[in-house]
Amino acid sequence: MKIVVGQGSCGIAAGASKVYNELDALIKAGNLKADLTITGCIGMCYLEPIVDLYLDDGSLTRLVKVSQKDVQTIAQAINESDFSLLSKLEVSQEDKEILDKQTRIALRHCGVIDPMKIEDYIEDQGYGALEKILKTGMTQEDVIEEIKLSGLAGRGGAGFPTWFKWNAAKESKADKKYLICNADEGDPGAFMDRAVIEGDPHNLIEGMLIGAYAMGADEAVVYVRAEYPLAILRLENAIKQATAKGYLGDNILGSNFSCKMRIKAGAGAFVCGEETALIESLEGQRGMPRLKPPFPAAAGYWLKPSNINNVETFANVPWIILNGGGAFAAMGTPDSKGTKVFALTGKISKGGLVEIPMGKTLHDVIYDIGGGIRDNKKFKAVQMGGPSGGCIPEEKLSTVIDYKKLGETGAIMGSGGMVVMDESTCMVGMARFFLDFTAKESCGKCVHCRLGTKRMLEILDRIVKGEGKDGDIELLEELSISVKDGALCGLGQTAPNPVLTTIRYFRDEYEAHIYDKKCPAGECSALVTYSIDHDKCTGCSLCARKCPVDAISGQIKSPYTIDPEICIKCGDCYKVCRFDAVKIN
Amino acid sequence: MSEIKVTINGVSVTGKSGSTILEIATENGIHIPTLCYDERVKLYGACGICTVEVEGIPKLLRACSAKATDGMIITTNSDRIKRSRKVALELLLSDHTGDCRGPCMLNCPAGTDCQEYVKLIGQGDYKGAVRVIKEKLPLPSSIGRVCPHPCEDACRRQMVEDPIAIAWLKSFAGDADLASDDTFRPDIEPDTGKKVAIIGGGPAGLTAAYFLRTMGHSVVILEAMPKMGGMLRYGIPQYRLPKDVVDKEVAEIESLGVEMKNNVRIGKDISFEEIQSSYDAVVVAIGAWTSSPMGIKGEELEGVYGGIDFLGKFALGETINVGEKVAVVGGGNTAMDACRTAVRLGAKEVYVFYRRTRAEMPAADIEIEEAQEEGVDFRFLTNPVEILSKDGKVSGVKVQKMELGEPDSSGRRRPVAVEGAFEDIELDSFIMAIGQYANTDGFDAIEKTGWGTISADEHSFRTSIDNVFAVGDATNNGADIAIAAIGEAHKAAIVINHFLDGADIPYKKPYYVKQEFTQEHFEDKPKQHRVKMPHISPEERKTNFEEIVLGFSEEEARKEASRCLDCGCHDYYDCKLIRYSNDCDVEPERFEGEKHERELIEINPKIEHNPDKCVLCGLCVRVCEEEVGKNVLGLLNRGFDSVVNPMFEDEQTQEFCTKCGKCVELCPTGALKLL
Repeated sequence: MKIVVGQGSCGIAAGASKVYNELDALIKAGNLKADLTITGCIGMCYLEPIVDLYLDDGSLTRLVKVSQKDVQTIAQAINESDFSLLSKLEVSQEDKEILDKQTRIALRHCGVIDPMKIEDYIEDQGYGALEKILKTGMTQEDVIEEIKLSGLAGRGGAGFPTWFKWNAAKESKADKKYLICNADEGDPGAFMDRAVIEGDPHNLIEGMLIGAYAMGADEAVVYVRAEYPLAILRLENAIKQATAKGYLGDNILGSNFSCKMRIKAGAGAFVCGEETALIESLEGQRGMPRLKPPFPAAAGYWLKPSNINNVETFANVPWIILNGGGAFAAMGTPDSKGTKVFALTGKISKGGLVEIPMGKTLHDVIYDIGGGIRDNKKFKAVQMGGPSGGCIPEEKLSTVIDYKKLGETGAIMGSGGMVVMDESTCMVGMARFFLDFTAKESCGKCVHCRLGTKRMLEILDRIVKGEGKDGDIELLEELSISVKDGALCGLGQTAPNPVLTTIRYFRDEYEAHIYDKKCPAGECSALVTYSIDHDKCTGCSLCARKCPVDAISGQIKSPYTIDPEICIKCGDCYKVCRFDAVKIN
Repeated sequence: MSEIKVTINGVSVTGKSGSTILEIATENGIHIPTLCYDERVKLYGACGICTVEVEGIPKLLRACSAKATDGMIITTNSDRIKRSRKVALELLLSDHTGDCRGPCMLNCPAGTDCQEYVKLIGQGDYKGAVRVIKEKLPLPSSIGRVCPHPCEDACRRQMVEDPIAIAWLKSFAGDADLASDDTFRPDIEPDTGKKVAIIGGGPAGLTAAYFLRTMGHSVVILEAMPKMGGMLRYGIPQYRLPKDVVDKEVAEIESLGVEMKNNVRIGKDISFEEIQSSYDAVVVAIGAWTSSPMGIKGEELEGVYGGIDFLGKFALGETINVGEKVAVVGGGNTAMDACRTAVRLGAKEVYVFYRRTRAEMPAADIEIEEAQEEGVDFRFLTNPVEILSKDGKVSGVKVQKMELGEPDSSGRRRPVAVEGAFEDIELDSFIMAIGQYANTDGFDAIEKTGWGTISADEHSFRTSIDNVFAVGDATNNGADIAIAAIGEAHKAAIVINHFLDGADIPYKKPYYVKQEFTQEHFEDKPKQHRVKMPHISPEERKTNFEEIVLGFSEEEARKEASRCLDCGCHDYYDCKLIRYSNDCDVEPERFEGEKHERELIEINPKIEHNPDKCVLCGLCVRVCEEEVGKNVLGLLNRGFDSVVNPMFEDEQTQEFCTKCGKCVELCPTGALKLL
């Protein structure tokens, strides 16, 4: 019997460590006979903590939403071989199928192997791709050719062909070259990279080593945001293990290829996800983007040829080498090959991490895998690509996942953040949220981003406060275009996207705020009032007890009333009412 | 290094391969604006103002960094580029607090750089001061004496105690120059062969003549009166502006080669059409010489005069017997000139009737005060309704008492008659100085406004006839102060110069960054009151037409000039931000929002940084790091709150900083200042 406790950040946040410790205590006390290990995130974050029971015959029983108090029952079931005791904890058929609907390449080991054990990784063909290259005499060109054949494109969001960057870096003549992994995952609602590093760090190391070999780099750096302590811990452990096993260091696997690897923890500036700002930060400078050209492939880290790829990009590389570029290219659309990992968040029923082949529709992801909208509400839009991306409305849900097709909607593929919004989300407020993010994260270097995002935010601020003016939409559009044209780096160039797409698809919401001083979604507190429907109110007093400013009064078991003079429109009453009696006007 | 060919704005040019677009454009004389580029430091790319379009590339490229390649087709001035540049500048200005020009200059209708000439006077450089004045106004001695000086009204020194005596300093400098052996001579462009006729030799006509002549054109002034000077001579009494001052300033203009013909009245001595067809351009600057009638009974009587007519007759040397009791109607400067002239002509009782109160009087305070000192009896809230007569001559006036009612469209409270309150006053003469208008007889061919004035475009000064321009009191809204006419004449001269060159470029009001100041800003300023202008006592002066003021001594002038607060930005003439902003017709108020208000940062005792003027181009930071090798300066905070700041504590900064001033030198705005 092997017990595997999901210990990604999502699992730990849901209480997995307590479950693990409890199981561990039982085993150590001799009250439970089983091997206990951990694994990373399987992707079904809404079901955490997840505990997998592998029976000796290899069959799997997956338990979900396990709490500390369930541990005794688990022990009893195992000890008594009576798994019917666990039927309440067992994953439902519907949830089980979510995994079946996916094609997992980058995430293939996540939630399966123990990320702290190199042996687990090696057992499932780990480091096999590297061995294949070094032992069968694949040249740098051969590797680049295989990647070219695969059609792999940068998973950080821009979708630039990976082979091209590798080749450019290879072609740059220099005494020293660097390979850098961008793990500065900063989009609100995105956690794909974190899951890969936490769940399968050796896969990243192997992908990076292959890239380093292809371009001729002997030093690799992983730039991880410091807010990912668990990822850093597991990667540090993996680097140590790989070095000990001879996969990292001098003369790897007895070849002439040498490469060392280290981690650089980023201090949390979103712009450091931009490759040149990342390089500045690595060099110890203020994180501000550089002018391009020169591109990093010619003059990057310490002005040496450098190649920067995202975590997910590298995570695909070992599989491609093992299975051939053709196998990867067989999945997807003519323009976009392979699979893509998405972090499904927001008002979705089954939030988590999914990996699907390119070419599926947004509808497939949101409804078939994500289970649609929570609480039976109506879908409104999905924000793709975080603050750099755009929103896609219901009528565009049949759009297939493809760099070009998504681009045509005004959104972008992005790194994989998919924030789902329902009818209660104000689209102007949503645009304001992302602008607030980018304006705060602007490094301040270029005029268009530093001041343009600030002024756009101010306009959005006044619109959501009901102080919007005629001409504000046009002014936002003009500023958006100018900021896209004039900003120095990707942060600024894409910052207006949420505004442009919300204006494109939800202009009527903007107009309602500006001209009618109304928020159709009922979310902008300045534009709404709360009241209690006396026909529905049962007088339970819950709202009055929750109200932070004592604006609600009444007698128990008779209808309550909100005093609009006192109400601060926090919406707590609306959220707690179980009888749908609180109305937003 | 091989050569490449590129096309910039449709022109084929060559450059060295490996050059940036900016380098090639600059080598070929094509200006691409930039705030953050300087060849002495590494590329940075912050300002985004140098962006250009390249055919086949959807994104805009930064010309400072984008390499030119053979065959590239580059546009630096497309609508898209202009829009992008304009927005960038507007965004910068939306968080820029500055004071481009002093309020004196901004409030001068002619835009005279008061602050600069006051400074030069303070330094004893009077010729320099006259040079600065004559960039806008060729009659400093005359105008210094008569101007109601809007400059002084705006002067911030009054927030300390009194405004600077700008006007008197101007006439001081003008007089000093006129008294010297080598009066200031402007540079005159080579002859263009173009001929310009100016109709009217008043302040506007003389100004237009001065500037058009310096531009190399052949200029003739046609004046209806026996002498040049217009209202300066015939409207302003000798005691305020001696005729010899006008003579000298006219002579200065004549000496530049301006032909001056007197006693030529259009429509009588020569037809307008003849002039219009014989000259390349014509400037109509005929002024407003006809007194407005009041429309009351008795205006035709002997002893009734129009204000302007009265002053003009006297200036022409005609004998006028005003008698002992004189009334002047009106509250403007002409009324003051008329009543004080009447005093000097021997009248014993001189009244001024004004239907509102002292507070509403448009005349300069000093004029009113001096008239009162000279014994003029002001009757406010008094409105003549009938001139009384005896034997066909004025014998008195019936006046109606008034009170102030609701404000009218001009914002002044409307005078309302007090029912039944009348008074008869005995008089020998009655002078109506309630306004003046242009006599456009002889100019029938030119389109008029509804007011009967000549219709001229506000920006191009063009009339309905192609080569005819019009300025001053005869146009549009009618009579105004002399400096306003001079301002129009100077602007018109520039427009006409373009016109003669075949271009149609109207005058454009420059954009300036302005800053509001309050008394609090000047709380620490030690008080030093305005130097008193010596003048003749009322008893002594009221019997003659001698000039009242005696003028500043050199010592007084320099002392007065030294009171100037030196408003405005020290870097105005070198500031790229304001230059480009004007090139792009910015409207930064579109992006009005949060604006920083930060303290000045003393980098060292010699260099001061004003973050609210900083555009964050990074040139100071970079030149210090790269060229000086010192790293004294760095960037602090992020996004909107980014700021250039010394990198270390004060002592270390003092130790590292070599005070080389390179940071100040490279600063494209006035954010860094050498103290």
